[in-house]
Amino acid sequence: MNPAGPFVFSVYAHLDELVGGIRGLQAEGFKEFQVFSPVPNHEIEHVLGRKPSPVRIFTLVGGLTGLAIGCGITIGPLWNYSLHVGGKPLVSLPPFAVVAYICTILFGALATFLGMILNARLPQLNLVEGYDERLSSDHFGIQVRCGAADIDRLKRLLKRSGAVEIRQVKS
Amino acid sequence: MDYRLNYTDTDIDLMRSLRPAGRSYWLLLGTLFALVVMGAAAWWNQIQTGIGLAGKNSPVGWAMYITTFVYWVGIAHSGTLISAILFLVRVRWRAAVYRSAEAVTLFGLMTAGLFPFIHLGRVWVSHWILPVPNFGGLWPNFRSPLAWDVLAITTYLTVSGLFFVVGMLPDLAVVRDKVIGWRKKVYGFLSQGWQGTDLQWRHYTAAYVFLAALATPLVISVHSIVSWDFAMSIIPGWHSTIFAPYFVAGAIHSGLAMVVLLLIPMRKAFSLEKYITMHHFESLAKFIIFTALIVGFAYLIEFFIAWYSGARYEQAIFLYRMVGDYAWAFWLLITTNVLMPMLLWIRRIRTSIPWLVAICLSVEVGMWLERFVIIVTSLAHDFLPSAWGLYKPTVTDTMIVIGSFAWFFFLFMIFSKVLPVVSMWEVKEQLEPPMKGDRQS
Repeated sequence: MNPAGPFVFSVYAHLDELVGGIRGLQAEGFKEFQVFSPVPNHEIEHVLGRKPSPVRIFTLVGGLTGLAIGCGITIGPLWNYSLHVGGKPLVSLPPFAVVAYICTILFGALATFLGMILNARLPQLNLVEGYDERLSSDHFGIQVRCGAADIDRLKRLLKRSGAVEIRQVKS
Repeated sequence: MDYRLNYTDTDIDLMRSLRPAGRSYWLLLGTLFALVVMGAAAWWNQIQTGIGLAGKNSPVGWAMYITTFVYWVGIAHSGTLISAILFLVRVRWRAAVYRSAEAVTLFGLMTAGLFPFIHLGRVWVSHWILPVPNFGGLWPNFRSPLAWDVLAITTYLTVSGLFFVVGMLPDLAVVRDKVIGWRKKVYGFLSQGWQGTDLQWRHYTAAYVFLAALATPLVISVHSIVSWDFAMSIIPGWHSTIFAPYFVAGAIHSGLAMVVLLLIPMRKAFSLEKYITMHHFESLAKFIIFTALIVGFAYLIEFFIAWYSGARYEQAIFLYRMVGDYAWAFWLLITTNVLMPMLLWIRRIRTSIPWLVAICLSVEVGMWLERFVIIVTSLAHDFLPSAWGLYKPTVTDTMIVIGSFAWFFFLFMIFSKVLPVVSMWEVKEQLEPPMKGDRQS
């Protein structure tokens, strides 16, 4: 979202009105907006139609990196510490697979966490301007960025969709 | 699980646990802290004086500390079962209880993690087990289950910690938006700027599913690896292929009982009856019947295999468990772990709070004794009669074990007052969202 320019923040008490508001914005050609909700909701996801999260790629890469590290810390040192015990093979797959498996899980989880905080842009030092404290609890919201000329049209649209409060921030 | 609630009431009800504590809370917390200090003092004394203060000695080199270590790792398992596995299979009743179960996992591991250090004796060289190049030219022997154990427990603690923190973020934002003063700053910092935008929820829900999927195999693997600490050796009574599933079932058995034991007073203290209902306890009780049956079956199979194998040392150790020096512990564990939970088949008993408390306490005693019997009897009575010997607890190891229980409950008490004990966003997810149209309830 373009950080400069005015935006309008609208608060909704009901989910169906919020979804109606999003549809209205899409129909009127407003593209730069984000939706706030206290819980994840399939109806909102469906109407927004965003692409799947790339967090899964982080998980896959992290898991594969972990697998490589697990193999590396078990097999790698054999060049320096090649300890032959009772004729057993140096690269002993059953025990080393346990270590590789654990490292896969560990690094997969760490990468998933990293993927989440990077993509969700966390941590954020300041909440968005106009953030309403009811949004984490029992209300929904839309923050829409627009040109100065569209503000009145946008406010009318949001009001019509059932917003209980509409605020203009940064005029 | 169908709640007749709305978003607003849910937040108000579930934040009640964060109100300033009463006198009884502080009294209990103070008592627990005193016991933690007692345990810490005993450990310090052991470090200063020597590991001989603990009762373990040849031939019983693993005793109270490793028993308690295995017990606490086991306690941790039900948390991940409830938070991750039940999440993946979409069990709706999980929402109200998983946060506390996850706290049990985290604090169980934080308690278990102390015991290898306590057991080591020379705790100041414990970093030698880590896979980092060091001046001694040492490298962990990754063929040893003890090295797997270090990795497994560390990974389990890390993944559980991440899952706990990630699951908490939206709730911390609710608290941030509802409190004032310095608490707003603290919860503002903890929530890390969470605002519930569509972008945040999209990546959050994806990450949550993957973390649950990664935590799920850990429920099976961590205690399997702990069991291999024993099964990979050749000691009679330990060298068994059923140890992994047997330990995992036992772990979940004790963990579920601990979750019930913690939920019952918490539900009462924070008036959470609308959220944690008798349906939850009944579901957990049914799980306990299931795990008790698996554990009971494993006990029978162990004895059957000892007899059927014809291996004399194996037969001798199982006979020793039944009639030897620690037979009292063996028969007590059979009674408390397997027979007592069978009472839960009766609906009137599994829906009665006093009965649930009594049975879950009995399971806790039984599961600790199970590990004690496995560890101590096998070491006390292995191949050579000339090397047989008995273990007796000492003041030092008893104080440390008591201190560990106090440490676990101390952590849980603090958690229950500073963080939401029931996941607000996941309970709200179960509710009908506020609608103006037809679906408004």
